[in-house]
Amino acid sequence: MHEASLVKSLLKQLSELVAQHGGGHVREIRVEVGLLAGIEPLLFHEAFQRERIGTLAADAELVITPVGLTCHCQGCQLDFVTDKLEFSCPTCGAKQIKILVGDTVILQSFTLAPAVEAELTP
Amino acid sequence: MMTTRVISVRRDLQAAVHGQAEEFRCQLAAQGTLVVNVLSSPGSGKTSLLAATADYLRANYRCAVLVGDIATDRDAQRLAPHLPAVQLTTGGACHLEYPLIEQGWRALGSPQVDFLFLENIGNLVCPASHDLGEHLRVLLLSTTEGDDKPAKYPKAFRTSHALVISKADLLPHVPFDVDRAIADARSIQPDLACFSTSTFPASGIKEWCDYLVSKRLQMLAGEPCRPNR
Repeated sequence: MHEASLVKSLLKQLSELVAQHGGGHVREIRVEVGLLAGIEPLLFHEAFQRERIGTLAADAELVITPVGLTCHCQGCQLDFVTDKLEFSCPTCGAKQIKILVGDTVILQSFTLAPAVEAELTP
Repeated sequence: MMTTRVISVRRDLQAAVHGQAEEFRCQLAAQGTLVVNVLSSPGSGKTSLLAATADYLRANYRCAVLVGDIATDRDAQRLAPHLPAVQLTTGGACHLEYPLIEQGWRALGSPQVDFLFLENIGNLVCPASHDLGEHLRVLLLSTTEGDDKPAKYPKAFRTSHALVISKADLLPHVPFDVDRAIADARSIQPDLACFSTSTFPASGIKEWCDYLVSKRLQMLAGEPCRPNR
């Protein structure tokens, strides 16, 4: 359910971005799914397969890159990267940390092909 | 002629809606309304706690609630004798999203209240990923659910400010270790304020309400209040 609503949002944002860039067809979409984004990559991919039908991303491939957490330790002031849901600093052990990256889904880029080819096809 | 291009975006997919939620948060802080988003599993006592909270605060504060459910307006009917309530039905969606809050706030008549409660859909997963424009995020964990839940639902605990252990009156009858649940939750979010309440009969409601009042004063003093990361 949650994955489907995020895919709908992705497709809506893509359609706005495509319009801003003069139109065309989306060929490849690259997204980063954070470890704590609350999104399961497999379900996100399946939701995309269903929702893309009839949109300007109908033929697009969705490439999902899982990313871990990047955190800032408020104890030793160092940043660290982790692939585990452990909320303490590996250097000093402090629990006072801030998550900088890894709790969201980021649209990194997409490939835009000209619309000409499709328009010429009867 | 145009060629195939790679368009770099680097955008959080929820950035736009979270920006709207941030505007709502600032607007309500400016009018003195503390917005409290209440998360929990189904049946852990959100509605009962909110009724008891409204009754306790009523003498000195104005409260209102937007209550989310997949179907029916049963919770709004239950809460209506205690405080102004508008039901938000999601028609199947497993969590509330900010546009529903904006709609519900208008349906309430955008009142000058001191506390606006948002009773989320019973679910410890999806609601954790949606900023509703709240200042305070509170998680209820009832003693019948088991003390092993925090590590199983890390994002809900990580992003919350307070943990209310509800149905504390059942502790003699269930294998729930309060200290263990709190330690587990604080290993995920060390700043969690923790409370223990029951509503039949009422206990712990004063401490919980005193906390709400103190958080509102902090907000009025200009302290930043938003969901934790």
